[in-house]
Amino acid sequence: MMGIGGAIQAGVFVMLGYAAGLAGTALVVALILCGVINFFTMCSYAELGSAIPKAGGEYTFAKAAYGGFVSFLTGWFEWISNMFFAALSSVGFAYIISYLIPVNVPLTAILTIVVFAFINIRGVEEVGRSQVLMVGTLLVILIAFILNGLVIPEAGAIQLSSPGGPLGVIQATAYIFVVYLGVEAIAVAQAEIKNPSKTIPRAIFLSAIVLFVVYPLTAYVMFRIVPPEAISSQSSSLIYVAQLSMGDLGKVALVIAGTIAALSSVNTSIMAQSRVAYALSRDGYFPKALLRIHHKFSTPHVAVVVGAIFTAVLAATGVINFVGYATDFGFIIGFALVNLSLMKLRKEKPLLDRPFKTPFYPFTPIAGIATSLFLLVFIDPGVLSLGIVLCVLAVLAYYIRMVGYLRFRVAFGGISLGLGGFTATLSYLIATGFMPLNGVSPTAITAIVFILLFASIIQIIAGLLNVTAKGSMF
Amino acid sequence: MSIRRKVSIVVGLAQSLIGAFATAFAFILYHNFLGTQAMLNVTAKDVVFYMLILIVFGLLSIISGLFLVNEQ
Repeated sequence: MMGIGGAIQAGVFVMLGYAAGLAGTALVVALILCGVINFFTMCSYAELGSAIPKAGGEYTFAKAAYGGFVSFLTGWFEWISNMFFAALSSVGFAYIISYLIPVNVPLTAILTIVVFAFINIRGVEEVGRSQVLMVGTLLVILIAFILNGLVIPEAGAIQLSSPGGPLGVIQATAYIFVVYLGVEAIAVAQAEIKNPSKTIPRAIFLSAIVLFVVYPLTAYVMFRIVPPEAISSQSSSLIYVAQLSMGDLGKVALVIAGTIAALSSVNTSIMAQSRVAYALSRDGYFPKALLRIHHKFSTPHVAVVVGAIFTAVLAATGVINFVGYATDFGFIIGFALVNLSLMKLRKEKPLLDRPFKTPFYPFTPIAGIATSLFLLVFIDPGVLSLGIVLCVLAVLAYYIRMVGYLRFRVAFGGISLGLGGFTATLSYLIATGFMPLNGVSPTAITAIVFILLFASIIQIIAGLLNVTAKGSMF
Repeated sequence: MSIRRKVSIVVGLAQSLIGAFATAFAFILYHNFLGTQAMLNVTAKDVVFYMLILIVFGLLSIISGLFLVNEQ
């Protein structure tokens, strides 16, 4: 249930419209392609998840296969991707409920993150019990929507066509790939699952098959009722179509389904990111504080909170397309590394106990790598730039661990001193009128001066403390 | 716990909070919550520039503050 609950997510409710604009009715083909590409990598997850039952999922797999920077890079991108995914789901949730009540999208998304951070601090078992009921309800509503669309007499047959030709289909595939994400979260929480060697492969494939059937059928049914042009501008194409075909009852039902899907995904991805952060901290890449386990709930509560803060900042943007592409990017890199890890382990540890083995090896992981990386070419250029920045940050973070904590601490001490001097100078210039703030009220100017002054004092003290850290040359 | 350690924690937390506030304020300014752009007489053209400065300042402050809080 964790797999299905994490995988049927807000993306299918709020992203199909834009994707329909790219691929037209051939979006059905794009969704099938996504399912096939996803299947290749899920085979690798199933084999590695059953063979290496440790918390951390992809990071643990890459560590067993490669170690060093490659494993850190895998964990880094999985951590970041899960936060993007949580942000996407929370923003999607806000757009979904705006169909019933007007809400401030970024604020609603942030509040959602906060609530689920608290829920995750309480632990997976608590979530699992409620998730079974929620996911069951979600599936029933979606199946009702699909069946209604298949039998409705007014609906017509569809002809598969793409306004952008084959390129439009591939672009839509790259964009909508995110709707299949979430199933791999099962492999991240494996340490908390009973009998993981059997449960994980079964859960992964069951979830993948459910999605492979539900998603293309959903798109097919949608286009039987309305043409792609009609839904491309809707914030939630699925709810829009449900209202047209099933009236207000359909709208409410799909809002409920979308809410369940979005919130399940938020929950799953917050859990997943905290477990990856925990694993990275366990190996010394992240601060030891993330290793702390709650004394009552036995969950890595600090890791949950830290990840939730970053996720909330991402969710505050309120931009679905950007967060969707960013999620795609991170997971595609992670998927490629997982497939590579499988192949490395097959070669170097052939006697490793593997309760489940990937079928048609080595074709399956090679196809997973090739098709995933191919999609990267069609991701939004702005997100690709962000991806490069994230790679640079990953190198820096790894370098800190390798080179030495103290050197970076002294360097940041110097940066703080510089920032302190800068803000102090700024405060002086504004207070004395050398740098007039035209159009700003005197009260605001006074507040700005005092804030800058306070910030500069803190920065200077912090800088001195860091520069004179124990062991430094000062 | 030594006095230096206590001071480090307090100053580190304060610095991290200042950094977090600066980063949050960048988004508040961008989305123009509570009419901040008009209040500070910031034109739409200059918003991105101020956002960049605030985010860089914020992130550097947060990282530096974390070094102090996690002093080894």
